Amino acid sequence: MTEAAASDDFHIPPRPPSRWEYISNDVRTLAVLFLLPTIVVLVSVVLYPFIYALVLSFQDKRPGIPARFIGLNNYIELFSSADFLQILYNTVYYTGFGVLIKFIIGLASALVLNQPRRFNNIYRTILFIPWAVPTVIASLVWLWVYDEFNGLLNILLIRLGLLDHGVAWLAEPKYAMWAVIAVVVWNGTPFYTMHFLAGLQAIPKELYEAAEIDGAGQIRKFWHITVPSMSTVFTITVMLSTVFTSTSIVVVNIMTNGAPANLTQIIPNESFNVAIQASRMGLGSAVNMVLFPFLVVFIVILTRRLLRKDGG
Amino acid sequence: MQLSQEASRRLSRAIGGGLLVVLILWTLAPLFWMVSTSLKHQSEIFGPKAGLLPVQPTLENYVVLLRETNFPTYFRNSLIVATATTLLSLVIASLGAYALTRLKFPGRKLFAQGLVYTYLMPSSLLFIPLLVIIRSIGLENTLEGLVFSYLGFSVPFCTWLLMGYFMSIPIELEESAMIDGCSRLGVLFRIVLPLTLPALAAVAFFSFTLSWNEFIYASVLVADVDVRTIPTGIPNFIVEDVFFWGPMMASTLISAIPPLVVYFLFQRFLITGLTLGAVKG
Repeated sequence: MTEAAASDDFHIPPRPPSRWEYISNDVRTLAVLFLLPTIVVLVSVVLYPFIYALVLSFQDKRPGIPARFIGLNNYIELFSSADFLQILYNTVYYTGFGVLIKFIIGLASALVLNQPRRFNNIYRTILFIPWAVPTVIASLVWLWVYDEFNGLLNILLIRLGLLDHGVAWLAEPKYAMWAVIAVVVWNGTPFYTMHFLAGLQAIPKELYEAAEIDGAGQIRKFWHITVPSMSTVFTITVMLSTVFTSTSIVVVNIMTNGAPANLTQIIPNESFNVAIQASRMGLGSAVNMVLFPFLVVFIVILTRRLLRKDGG
Repeated sequence: MQLSQEASRRLSRAIGGGLLVVLILWTLAPLFWMVSTSLKHQSEIFGPKAGLLPVQPTLENYVVLLRETNFPTYFRNSLIVATATTLLSLVIASLGAYALTRLKFPGRKLFAQGLVYTYLMPSSLLFIPLLVIIRSIGLENTLEGLVFSYLGFSVPFCTWLLMGYFMSIPIELEESAMIDGCSRLGVLFRIVLPLTLPALAAVAFFSFTLSWNEFIYASVLVADVDVRTIPTGIPNFIVEDVFFWGPMMASTLISAIPPLVVYFLFQRFLITGLTLGAVKG
């Protein structure tokens, strides 16, 4: 730099660096400055609330009374209640089948969309639409689809001669949970399809060509090439979706709020009811914290995987 | 039975075609029902005359919705909250993502890890204490309180996505700009951000839809009708009116439009963005 300046015969006297230049040359200070807003936000609306939630779960906190520590009493109250055990079972059932069915339909969709076919872009666009539909909206629309007297499902089933009168799908103990899961599946499958399709497209074509030369059919190619190549995508998608499915209250809250007789109640929505409707914030926090040990395992494994993949 | 490779390929394509039809019907059926109901006259929605398609399509549900309900207020509130959250998140996340990808400092890896933890932290674990916190700083029942809370999921998500995009920009460009006397902030605003503009748009719309759809914080932190957003506003039509399904379906249709338009316009970006974490590498 000095040489260039000298050859041009313009001698610019060295100016002392301004405070800003000084800061921007000190990488560490700059990093702290750049990250400060993020730190403020995350500490105040994620980290602090989380620790607070943990503390609350050992407290009795109701409006008008100062909070007091009651040790494990909230948890004892929960696990000695048959209702809560039912809710715990529902949550596992709801998450397990929700994830399983989304996985199956998502994989089938991705395989179909990966086949050479005319207008594939259009089909893909259509199959991804539910992903862009807000879950609240999806729940309300399905609520109307399930309507006992004027809903699409009953109208169709009656016209096809499969039913002679409408069924209240969300009020029947036999069907209610499955009706809820169907909505979760409708709204959440595209998330799987997207991941799986991207995964399929990343598999090198040569692998399939080599297998064809060896005489492998479609089914063998699927089991010996597709499935092993997709194992990482499978794990990440299932884990992400398990975390999101088991902690989302929207579908249950809007469609049934746990009815009939707590048969569709799940942990996050129960926590909402206990903490907000019944104003028992300590107990409500404990309800959620029951899920936390399982979430922690998923979150830690996922974070490792995501960071390894991205090299960050 | 052993099929030849050609026959087996043709068979799997035929099965695929059949499956595709079923999948498309399953995907579109509820949406068809939403659109059809929203265009029906009251008498075609309820009772024995209820059919699949509107016989005499009418816009009266939309008129009722816009004139006689609080829907316009909810829509406006959602728009304000989602826009404010998105703009703030973009500024905060750009600075953060730049620091995490370009500035070497001790604890960088740990910070990135913490960011993913917070992104995966479900809001259902946080809403109870958040209510206490927001109440104590006097932001209960305000749109500001919602925006502040939404930053909690929007910032880590945007930062996470932007980190991926920033890493794809060759560092040489920035180095040469700095040799030419550009400051770090100058590099970020004159080089990195313009180069990632399309990605930035995708991240912005992600953040917008997340806030547009948010339900749990909105139902806990806001109770007054004037400050409700769409997700907590429109489910109440069920309580308020018996024959609400016509206007309700009109409202769901209108509320689904912004995210759908974004989806149709930015499909490719959104999908790459979403699958970045899982499939890259």
